[in-house]
Amino acid sequence: MLSRDYRDIFGGLLMVAFGVWVAWYSAAHYDLGTFRRMAPGMFPMMLGIILAGFGLAIAIPAFFRTGPKPYIRIWTPLFVLLGVGAFAILVRPFGLIPAILGVTIISSLAELKFRPVSLAILCAVLCLIAWLTFRVGLGLPMPMFRWPY
Amino acid sequence: MDIFSNIALGLNTALSFTNLLYCFLGVFLGTLVGVIPGIGVLSAISMLFPITFYLEPTTALIMLAGIWYGTSYGGNTASILLNIPGTPANAVTCLDGYPMARQGRGGVALLMTTVASFVGGSIGILLLMLFGPVIARYALSFGSAEYFALMVMGLVAASTISDGSALKGLAMVVLGILFGCVGADIYTGTPRFNFGTLELTDQISLIALAMGIFGVSEVIASVRNVHVGDIDPESVRFKAMKPSKDDVKRSIFPMLRGSSIGSFFGTLPGTGPSVAAFMAYAMEKRVAKDPRRFGKGAIEGIMAPESANNSADQTSFIPTLSLGIPGSPTMALMLGALMIHGIAPGPSLVNDQPALFWGLIMSFWIGNLLLVVLNVPLIGVWVRLLMIPYHLLFPAVLMFICIGTYSVNMSSFEVWLVVFFGFLGYLMRILDWPSAPLLLGFVLGPLMEEHFRRALLLSRGDFMTFIDRPISATVMGITVLLLAWGAWSALKERKRISGLLHEEAADDLTEGR
Repeated sequence: MLSRDYRDIFGGLLMVAFGVWVAWYSAAHYDLGTFRRMAPGMFPMMLGIILAGFGLAIAIPAFFRTGPKPYIRIWTPLFVLLGVGAFAILVRPFGLIPAILGVTIISSLAELKFRPVSLAILCAVLCLIAWLTFRVGLGLPMPMFRWPY
Repeated sequence: MDIFSNIALGLNTALSFTNLLYCFLGVFLGTLVGVIPGIGVLSAISMLFPITFYLEPTTALIMLAGIWYGTSYGGNTASILLNIPGTPANAVTCLDGYPMARQGRGGVALLMTTVASFVGGSIGILLLMLFGPVIARYALSFGSAEYFALMVMGLVAASTISDGSALKGLAMVVLGILFGCVGADIYTGTPRFNFGTLELTDQISLIALAMGIFGVSEVIASVRNVHVGDIDPESVRFKAMKPSKDDVKRSIFPMLRGSSIGSFFGTLPGTGPSVAAFMAYAMEKRVAKDPRRFGKGAIEGIMAPESANNSADQTSFIPTLSLGIPGSPTMALMLGALMIHGIAPGPSLVNDQPALFWGLIMSFWIGNLLLVVLNVPLIGVWVRLLMIPYHLLFPAVLMFICIGTYSVNMSSFEVWLVVFFGFLGYLMRILDWPSAPLLLGFVLGPLMEEHFRRALLLSRGDFMTFIDRPISATVMGITVLLLAWGAWSALKERKRISGLLHEEAADDLTEGR
């Protein structure tokens, strides 16, 4: 329990910041036009202002009430996102199999346990499934292995 | 008779070998995804979305739709046997389904919910056949002002009716529309918010957004939280499935009431199967002679919600197909599949693409029949799936998400987008921002902007155009009422919550998330 609802204060202010930035960015970089003949910047600018308004409406009342303590995990999301990122880095230069190994091994750490045997089996099975579905089944033009150097 | 020739045309389309195959594949995968907790229908559909590029639009839609209503069939398995809802729409089924399984009547519950699902689904399809084309014919006369008003109403309804704070829902709709603004401007072609990159000159990929916000963030939230339970294999033997006469007698009216409630809530934007199932359960409890039986294994308590969520699954296609306005994120993805194939969703769809419209509807019948076959004799297979530990499952899900996104354009940039939206999705979970309105806003955003700008162009910049036209004015009026209702119930909720907050915080701690 927190003395103020910091979750909504933070979230609301984040919305205000993003909304104001969008409104400023669209007004500064694109034509606004008139209501009769709107140019590219008008619609996003209006949305940015509305979003900032909602953000204020969420943040202000949150200052005057107590709030729940949010439960934030750090390692689990980090490993999952790193795994997906590893796929993005590996798939183009090295091919599909190394990319699958990357996402599987890194993301499996999100469990915060390391099980070498089951992980090895899982990697083998997933590579086989991917090869069967995407190469044999759907015939996608994705190389399994590649060496860029 | 017009309708008979349409049915014949639909059957002709749906019964072709390819369509039958993909219909089977869809309902099979739907059941699979429904059975396994921790993979929602949205992540399943977004994972398989890229495959649909290689298919005919009708076939693609038949498969995606099969996944959608298939999950409702499969979802009750985990609810009944493990007390974990397979999908949110099956959550209420836990209340009476799990007690039934504890009493050794799990087999009966599984069989009867399949029957309920089939009845609910059938009634939903009948209504879709009757009303879809009528509404579409009426909607052909709509102009830009009407469309804009309808979309605003859909988005407002979706964000105020669904659970959570209405204010946050509306804010997420706006955020979604903003993400939809990225890319070339529809009228001038000016690239917006691309920050000098080539990849963002086109739109943000719907698949990357959906996979990140729904798929990846669901994995993050489920890792180390989904546990495998014990199941008594005896209770799901074929012999144990035979319902008593009393069970059957008690089931008929709850099924019919559930189907009508489900059909109604399915057509409304923002409500869909989950709300329908809760409403149907509440209704049964109210009309029951002895409400105390509920929660202790009353068969009415599983029949009504299971028929309601299935009929809602089917009727949610009414606004999607006849108006081109999706009421839920899943429906938004269906429309996305159509748009990718160059088919403009809207009232003209029924006339321009009769084979698609009627073929899809007829495939629903086939799919529902297939699901009965898949769910009754094969239930033992699905039950075994419940025993796969999640630590083996989630890397596989992530792999499919990565390959699925990458394969669309062979672009690793889009996989990075998944990382970004996965992070955003997790942040949204922490901040308690609802994710469904964001996806709806994202899909409808570009259409809304187009109609908004066109309506004001036609009216020479006069905002009164949205109020002068009778249909648009009515729709806007309903929207205002919805907003007022949302504000009022938020106030009421806040008063109630301030008393409960202390308790809730204690619950959060014991939940051990």
